[in-house]
Amino acid sequence: MNQKLLIVDDESHIRMLIEQTLEELEENGVDFFTAENGEQALEIIKKENPQLVFLDVMMPKMNGMEVCRRVKKELNMDDVFIVLLTAKGQELDRKKGQEVGADIYMTKPFDPESLLQKAKEVLGIPAS
Amino acid sequence: MAAPNLKNIIGRKKDAGSLMISFVEQYKSDISILDETGNWLAGKPPDDAWGFRVGVFCDEKISGWVTGNEKAVFVAEFLSFLLKKENDKKNLGTEVLHLYKEINLIFNFSEKLARSIEASSIAQITLEESMRVIRSNNGVVILWDEDSKHLNVIASQGNSFFGEEKVNDQREILLKIALHGQSDIISDTSSLAEAGLVSPDINSVIYAALKVNQRVMGAVILGSHEPGQYVAADLKLLITLALQSSSTIETALLYEKNLREVNEREEAMRLVYEVTGKFVPYEFIGALGHRVITDVRLGDQVEKIVTVLFSDIRDYTTISEQLTPEENFNFVSSFNERMGPIIRKNQGFINQYLGDAIMAIFPGNATHALTAAIEMQKAVQTLNENRSLLNKTPIKIGVGIHTGPLIMGITGDHERLDATTISDTVNIASRLENLTKHYKGNIILSEASLENITDPENFHCRHLGLVKLKGKENPLSIYECFSGTENPELQKKIATLPIFKRGMTGYLNKSFEEAYDEFHQVLQIHPEDLTTRLFVDNIKHFINQGVPENWTGVNEMHNK
Repeated sequence: MNQKLLIVDDESHIRMLIEQTLEELEENGVDFFTAENGEQALEIIKKENPQLVFLDVMMPKMNGMEVCRRVKKELNMDDVFIVLLTAKGQELDRKKGQEVGADIYMTKPFDPESLLQKAKEVLGIPAS
Repeated sequence: MAAPNLKNIIGRKKDAGSLMISFVEQYKSDISILDETGNWLAGKPPDDAWGFRVGVFCDEKISGWVTGNEKAVFVAEFLSFLLKKENDKKNLGTEVLHLYKEINLIFNFSEKLARSIEASSIAQITLEESMRVIRSNNGVVILWDEDSKHLNVIASQGNSFFGEEKVNDQREILLKIALHGQSDIISDTSSLAEAGLVSPDINSVIYAALKVNQRVMGAVILGSHEPGQYVAADLKLLITLALQSSSTIETALLYEKNLREVNEREEAMRLVYEVTGKFVPYEFIGALGHRVITDVRLGDQVEKIVTVLFSDIRDYTTISEQLTPEENFNFVSSFNERMGPIIRKNQGFINQYLGDAIMAIFPGNATHALTAAIEMQKAVQTLNENRSLLNKTPIKIGVGIHTGPLIMGITGDHERLDATTISDTVNIASRLENLTKHYKGNIILSEASLENITDPENFHCRHLGLVKLKGKENPLSIYECFSGTENPELQKKIATLPIFKRGMTGYLNKSFEEAYDEFHQVLQIHPEDLTTRLFVDNIKHFINQGVPENWTGVNEMHNK
């Protein structure tokens, strides 16, 4: 079965950027999903059970922290690797991120190379 | 990355492509969609009997086929359209990612730059970053120094680039390119190689000017062995990095310049401070309770108990008559050069040099003053040994020492200050020095000083009785210290000391015959003891002329 990857951000250019950065994963048989807000994200996670989720923190309605908490603490979905994305200067959230069970934390603007390497690592795809 | 292909579009659920497929399949039309090699992707299984076989194009290349009835044409066009849209989206995505990478780069570069305030390390960071993103292994950063009119190589990597002397020699070439404010790629490096600015194995060069407000400061220049290595995108990147580092370098240079100026001013101040200490001793300023001479005010004063030492060169007038003014000056200077250190070594300071006389103050106790006096005498002996080698007459000094209160203060008027000492103690010390002529001793000290000495047993002193200085009411008890004399005189004085003491006791008691006997004995042993001869003469005078009724043993001085 194909591996699945979910990109959650209210800003469309960020979604596009992350998709573009991880383009080569598509050729490695990874299915891409996107969501614009927390509610959509939860639906997709429940339905598709992705291995890797990029989750923006600052979103209207339900923010990334809440999504993470529900997935990790309520639904106990341990095999979903969650990467929290946050703007620089908001690093105090790091502690909160740990509390809600996020796996790692990345700041925006993100380094495309690091993002790709991390994704490959999590999905078990060998580095080029 | 691979161009979007038909397989992807068809495979994606919910996308237009898969909707099209569902539509085709719903309609049960004779349509078959194949990939570029003819493999069946979707729709009905292909039938060779069908009349239409239309290509699906993307970027003028075949991406797949649609076979079937006349509807195949429409389906193929539609799929081509979708593919184009997908391709456009991909291209846009690539461009945006590229821009994003640039933003990220600039962001990180800013952070790196912010860590340094030194121009040379900023240049180094800039060069390293440029060489990392524009993949080179040779580069330099050059800066123009406005003050010295010199081009400096402020950072460099690899060894294919020019050294600093070449840079300044071949300035014209650089002025035509980077230093003119331009940024560009050079594919023909032959002129640079000929001028010795790069080694011949460099075949591509890219450079960007470092500019602040239209003023060119220098340039970042990279080189590669590969010909045609650099492209327009690289240039854009280099210009961006150069722009960022320019203002940072400018700020760093200004900061360094300021720092230099501040250090120079501080050094100048320190030198001035050092010199002022040579004119007004630090000890004087310190005694007034100030740290620096600039804190001193007209009227500052302090009273302390100190020991004052006066020294004078005997018969200096006679000596100076035989010298030219210049020789005189040099003589006194070299004399003072020997004496000054002795005073300071013994924790005193020179209050004044007055011609051939020295006035020194010892704030501690009189032991220091006396030690200094003895060392000064010994120094004169050494000086005399040298003088005799040059056939010059030996010199003698007299030293007077007295301990008492002294006022040190700042007098004068507000535009002309003088560091002054006012007290009787100074007068007395001076008069005591004068007495060395009369009493034929070298070092004369008052009882007050003797009492102030912590270890009198280490010094050879003999009591010379009482003296009443001209104009003074109270008589002073004085002593001669002969520790500074040479042998054989020293030994003889030591030997005759007890006898001399007895003589002095008798003298002060008016027992002149006894005194005479004792002094006579001294002279037997030490005929050259002129001091004793003086007392013998006094006794003879008293015996012949009689002694005044109220004589208390005090020698009245009628001259100052």
